[in-house]
Order: sequence, then C-alpha cells, then structure tokens
Amino acid sequence: MDKRKSLIKIKPKKFKNGEVVKVSFMVMHPMATGMSKDKKTKKIIPAKYINSVKFVYNGQEITNMTVWATLSTNPVFTTYMKINGKGKLTVTYTDNTGEVHEKTKKIKPKG
Amino acid sequence: MKRRDFFKKLGVAAAVAATVTPTMSFAKSKPVSKNHITIAASIDAVTGGKKPKTSSKVKLKVPEIAENGAVVPVTVTVDSPMTDSDYVKAIHIFASKNSNARAIDVNLTPANGKAMFSTRIKLGGTQEVVALVALSNGEFLIASQSVKVTIGGCG
Amino acid sequence: MKTGIKIALSLAMLSSLSFGGEQFAMSDADRAMYAEMLENNPADLMVANGEDLLAEYCGGDEGLAKFLKVSEDDLPAYIAGFPRYLPEFKQVVGLDQVLQGLMHKNGHKVFKLKSSDMFDMSAYAKSLANDEKSNIDINANKQMKAAYALGKQTYMTARGGRGLSCNSCHSEDIVGRVLRTQPLPDLGKNGVAVAATWPAYRMTKSSLRTLQRRFQGCMKNALLKVIPIGSPEMVALEVYLTSEAKGTPIAVPGLKR
Repeated sequence: MDKRKSLIKIKPKKFKNGEVVKVSFMVMHPMATGMSKDKKTKKIIPAKYINSVKFVYNGQEITNMTVWATLSTNPVFTTYMKINGKGKLTVTYTDNTGEVHEKTKKIKPKG
Repeated sequence: MKRRDFFKKLGVAAAVAATVTPTMSFAKSKPVSKNHITIAASIDAVTGGKKPKTSSKVKLKVPEIAENGAVVPVTVTVDSPMTDSDYVKAIHIFASKNSNARAIDVNLTPANGKAMFSTRIKLGGTQEVVALVALSNGEFLIASQSVKVTIGGCG
Repeated sequence: MKTGIKIALSLAMLSSLSFGGEQFAMSDADRAMYAEMLENNPADLMVANGEDLLAEYCGGDEGLAKFLKVSEDDLPAYIAGFPRYLPEFKQVVGLDQVLQGLMHKNGHKVFKLKSSDMFDMSAYAKSLANDEKSNIDINANKQMKAAYALGKQTYMTARGGRGLSCNSCHSEDIVGRVLRTQPLPDLGKNGVAVAATWPAYRMTKSSLRTLQRRFQGCMKNALLKVIPIGSPEMVALEVYLTSEAKGTPIAVPGLKR
C-alpha cells in the first residue's frame, strides 16, 4: 500500500439515512500518459496512471470505473451515493504499474 | 517562446472568434484526424453497434472555452430514477481528438441514488467531449459539446 | 540607442494589445464551472501534506504560534498580516522564511524556499488565516515602510529585453486588455486580490505554487531577469501587492490557470 495523499469528501457533511450525498475521491497522482518528455532530461516520462477505481460502501460495491490517462494529474472522481446506514466507505484504486491504494471514510448518518 | 511568435500571437488574439456549436455531427462529417475514426469506433465498441440517441435527459457540462488544456472540468448528469428497474448503468466519457479518445467508464448502480459523474480531463486542443450513457433497459443516450482550448497566458 | 529600441519595442507591444476582452473573458457559465472546481481543489491535498510537514518539523499550529509569540487564538489574524518585520530575523520576512527559521530552531535541515515541501507547508500555515481579512501594516515600523517603497519601486522599474516593468502589463489602464489570449488581471482588491488567493494550484503546472514563485514565472516570460525567492526585492513585491489586496478575506489555496 502506497503513501499517497488522498481525500474522501462528502457533501453535505451532516446527513441522514436515506439521503443522497455527493462523494468525491481525490488523490495526488501524476496520471502520466507516457507521451510527454521531461523538460530537463528530454527523456519520455513513463506512463503512470490510475486505471481502475472502486467505491465500496458497507461491503457492497456501489461504483466501479475503468480509467485512462486522459484524466488530469491529481485526479478527482465525484459521484453520488445513497446513505444506507452507519459504516464505512472504502475507495480503492490500482494503476498501470500495479500500485494499489485504499482510503476509508467512516459514514455516520445523523438520524 | 521566440520573440517573433510572441508578436504574432498578439495579432491572432484579436482575430479568433470564440463561437461554439454543440454538435453531434462528428459521426457523419469527414474524418479530421486519425483519431476521428477511433472515437466513432470506441462508441460502437461500447454500444455493440447500436445507435445512441440524443436526449435532453443527459446534461453534459464542460466549459465553452477552457482556460488551459491540462485541467478541464467535465460533469455528466442523467435524469434517471436510479431504481432497480430503471437506472443508469454506465457513463462513458470521450475526448474526440485526443490520441486516446477514452477518458473514463463509470459503472453505476441504484445505490448511487443519482446518475452523475464529475472529473477533470486533459484536452490536447480544441475538440468535442462526448458523454455516452448506458441505461438498464439496454438503450444508449449520447451528448456532445465542443470545448475551445486556449493555450496562452504568460508563464 | 539601445535604450531607444527597448522603449520603442515596449510601446509597440502595448499598442498591439487587443481590446478583445469580451471574446476571451470568461462566460458566466464557464466562470461558475471553474468556481465549482474549488470544491475539490487538488491543492487541498498539498495543504494536507503541509499540515503533516508543519506537525513533523515545526510542532504544528502550537509550535508556530509559540515561535511567533502569539496565542493560538490570535494566530489566524497574525498570519493574515504577513509579510512582517520580525526583529529576530532583522528583516521583513514572508511566512516561508519564518518556517525556515522555526525548522532551523528545531534542529532540522530547512526546506529550500523554492521547494514543493515549503510551498505545501507555507500554504497550510497561511490557510490558518482563511476568512481573516488581509491586514498587513505597511506603516508598522520603518522597515515595513521601506519594504513597501522598495516593492512599489520594483513593480514600476522597467528592465529586461523588452523594457517592461510589472506595471507595463498590470497597471489600471491596461487591466482587461488581452495578452496571449488571456485578459490581463487587476492584481489588487478590485480584481483578483492576488495576495489573498495565493498560494494556489496552477492548472498549467498541475502543482501548488506560492506568489513569489508565480512572480518568477511571470518575470521569465516577460524576459526580465528572475529574482530569487526570499530576496529583499521579492519580499518587497509581496508586501506591495499584499497591501494592494488589504481588506480582502484570505482564501487559500486558490485555483489559477
């Protein structure tokens, strides 16, 4: 497991059961296409990009994505989710070099 | 940038018109680049040859003029009840002229509650961003918007 | 003769600036879209990294407040007043230089001013002042007065291959004109209030940058010799522009082209 900085954000911050909230996952990742050159060394920067993302809420996979290097560096993945009880949301990604990253956020609906 | 180019670009700035036309015609018009075939083929690969329909239910939000090509916001929202019997199965995003036309495939479930996906993509130049939507009933919807990418500024 | 050519060139450049501001000014819909991106500013990750760095090397918010001899409650408003003259440093300093001092005091090898670690850490430190009104006091003492004067002078001094000064492109009369497809912004409180919205994520660089770092990029493009970050002139420029943004609530990290 790598040590990249990542964040899971939920909007609104306070929510009830049954509410549909906006959820974003953001990570510091180069999303390098493998088609650009390093300005100093003039060498091609090897491709390194997230190629799959999964959102798992209380053990159930609610969203999965196939991703290409077209996404901007330091990507964000924003969608919605229906709050269905206390628990946790885990976002996992893999990248083309085999890197795996996992981030978890506790889900605590009020009421 | 060479000094000559700098002065040339000043003249160009005034002359370029910033008109934008939402267009679905990329499939029918002449190929403008090698990649032009790629996007139509990519869409066909997803739909299995089925013709996607344009629909006001799909809202594709991208800037008319992107300040830079490295970080272009894209949001796709689909009007759907997201119930077990009627939901958006997937949102596919394409960039018509990038060397790789595919950006992302987002597979949704009713647990998402709302059919929406938002991210930021890289655009190599002015082109169309396309959203292809797969519904649970097997139908495909499509929306497309042209984005003018300006490559300018100082530094 | 050389000076004559320099001046002629800068006049030619200025007169060929187009007033096509409307074509390249952002539409309201586009502006709203870019504003929405602030919700998930990639720089939030760098600021989070900065928080970790401040904790590790400077004792966190508590350590910083102690070093600056203010209470943690007063820290946000105090930070909103930087750059400041600090007697211990014997000069007017920016937040980044203060952090170097604190790192050194804690026995650590200091981050270079032009490093991403320093950009991240100073962005976090400045974010403690978010929502506080920028309250720099250019009359606080003679050193601040001198820094303001030096900053204004640096801003107005024409130099480099095209005989340009900061003011050549950023004066009130030029604001709105289009240069290289981008309308030139008002850097003060009536416009972008740069000092309140930097450090910021620069989309074209996909990284978090500080204001002085941005000055360097601008200088390079205008063919002016780049001044080192943390030098008296750079700090003075920051003092001058921060004063121009005085009263604006601080909102970092920003999001810029």
